Amino acid sequence: MTTEFAIQIGQLEFGWKPGQTLLDIDRFELAAGESVFLVGPSGSGKSSLLAVIAGIAPASAGEIAILGQDMTALSPARRDAFRADNLGVIFQLFNLVPYLSPLDNVMLPCRFSKARRDRATRNGSLRSEAERLLNSLGLDAATISRASTELSVGQQQRVAAARALIGAPGLIIADEPTSALDSSSRNNFIELLQGECEAANSALLFVSHDEALGRFFDRHVDLADINRAGSVVA
Amino acid sequence: MNGAIFNLAYKSVTNRLFTVGLTVLAIAMSVTLFLGVDKIRTGARESFSTTISGTDLIVGARSGSINLLLYSVFRIGDPTGAMSWESYEQIAGASGVEWAVPISLGDSHRGYRVVGTNNTYFERYRYGRDLPLQFAAGEAFADAEGVVIGAQVASDLGYEIGSEVSLSHGIGEVSFAEHDDHPLLVTGILRPTGTPVDRSVHVTLEIIDRIHDDGAHDDDGHEEDGHEDADHHQHEPEQITAVFIGMEQPTLVLRLQRQVNTYPEEALSAIIPGVALMQLWEVVGAGEAAFGAISAFVILVGLISIATSLSASLNERRREMAILRAVGARPGHVFTLLISEAAAIAAAGAFAGIVLINLVFVMIAGLVQSRYGLTLGSGGLSPTDMVTGVVVVTAGALMGVLPARRALKNALADGLTIKL
Repeated sequence: MTTEFAIQIGQLEFGWKPGQTLLDIDRFELAAGESVFLVGPSGSGKSSLLAVIAGIAPASAGEIAILGQDMTALSPARRDAFRADNLGVIFQLFNLVPYLSPLDNVMLPCRFSKARRDRATRNGSLRSEAERLLNSLGLDAATISRASTELSVGQQQRVAAARALIGAPGLIIADEPTSALDSSSRNNFIELLQGECEAANSALLFVSHDEALGRFFDRHVDLADINRAGSVVA
Repeated sequence: MNGAIFNLAYKSVTNRLFTVGLTVLAIAMSVTLFLGVDKIRTGARESFSTTISGTDLIVGARSGSINLLLYSVFRIGDPTGAMSWESYEQIAGASGVEWAVPISLGDSHRGYRVVGTNNTYFERYRYGRDLPLQFAAGEAFADAEGVVIGAQVASDLGYEIGSEVSLSHGIGEVSFAEHDDHPLLVTGILRPTGTPVDRSVHVTLEIIDRIHDDGAHDDDGHEEDGHEDADHHQHEPEQITAVFIGMEQPTLVLRLQRQVNTYPEEALSAIIPGVALMQLWEVVGAGEAAFGAISAFVILVGLISIATSLSASLNERRREMAILRAVGARPGHVFTLLISEAAAIAAAGAFAGIVLINLVFVMIAGLVQSRYGLTLGSGGLSPTDMVTGVVVVTAGALMGVLPARRALKNALADGLTIKL
């Protein structure tokens, strides 16, 4: 993806129910390959913003373009396909499908997106790419071979990061991925994640309520500053 | 893309082996019950409709066909009347008749019906798929005093070859006039047939006559000169109850039936056993359909357990669905995942049930055949097995629709994040 922006939002309005405005954002942009820290207290609409960016919840009004693609112009099915091709997501907790091995979890997005499978297999097999990502995120072969449910939370988050990164999607969304980690593994996780995003040239939108994490990022955005509806709801 | 989903469904199902296993067990048991009942129904219907086979016509005194069938074959109820020996000889000698077996009913031995006949009965009587009567011990009548008993009579009364049998006039459980002056000895015991033959005591026509002569001392004016003749097989009673007839060619059956029904000397009826048996089955087989309906409902209960267990698992799988959506699974994928899980559970249950019922039947078929003379199908996969399997898998997949719709609704409402 050689677009200028990973995310472009203008005059966005959004609410889960009609008549309720949770998000009212005049302007929010994320450059391609940029790594941005988005901070906001819980209930400030972070998760809603992520759902809109991921194309899971449609905006009520305004413009939203991801990697140059106008999301409002896409049908739900096309949005799903677009997300599969271009978005990596890391959740706060319980990221893994319990009945799949760590490796199968990492390879999962490539089962739903041919584009990501093609990109992931550029330098070899899908499996070797998944193993490479897991290794560079600090997981050794012994850990990978264990069942997903037996991994520690920190290990699970690394597997989730590898899954978000596989096939080099243009945008990675991390929704409080470190809130269950202790401080040393948290720092280590963020550094590894940033390094891999740089290597894959993926933009990273890292969301947290913990302001202390802002120091790891070039840019730092407070949702309360850009969301005009924020004060009303929170 | 769907290959990935089926792979997921497989791993998801095998990951929940315990709960899935229970559901599979429920399906398997219901399929086993349904097919078991069906096989027994089929076996019973077939066994019933072949209670007598190889006999082309049964002739007796004028009566309804089911009535004639009931007393001549099932030995239930009383004969409506007798037919004369002369008529018997006429019919037996009619053109196209290959053989004719006279039977004389109306007496009993300790609650079991006595059938007066001759040795041709043991040669000509067929049941099931043209199975002949076989002797478990002994042989047919060697003289007028011979008695051949059915398998159940032998086991219930503990009779062996050489046991003494006394006969009574009438058919009550307790006889008023036991003829102990005619002690007869068991000369043959038949193998089980699963037909009323098992519950019959067979004696010669001459013995029947003797009982009646003693009881009524010749008031019927029957000439007894035959008794002085040593040749008992030539014994000619005055009247008998019915005749089993075999024809040389099946095409002649209807013609003879018409001739008998319009026989001018005596009011007689001729019935085709197979036809009358099916008429009778329509009456006694009514319960059979009820059994089928009940076992079909048991399958329905089993199928509903698929929807139950999948729905119950949805809450704990909510996050799994959100993850799948986040990594690019479309609603159709989530839908397909749950439907194929349901279908897989149903398929495993149907397969296990079909295998189980066939194993059970293979194991007990020999026992049932030898003990009850009932043939339980031919074994192996029946068309009913296949159809049941297909229907169960299809219905099972449909049972996945409900949980699948709920999962979709949840996944859409949850967005990318769920607070659990």
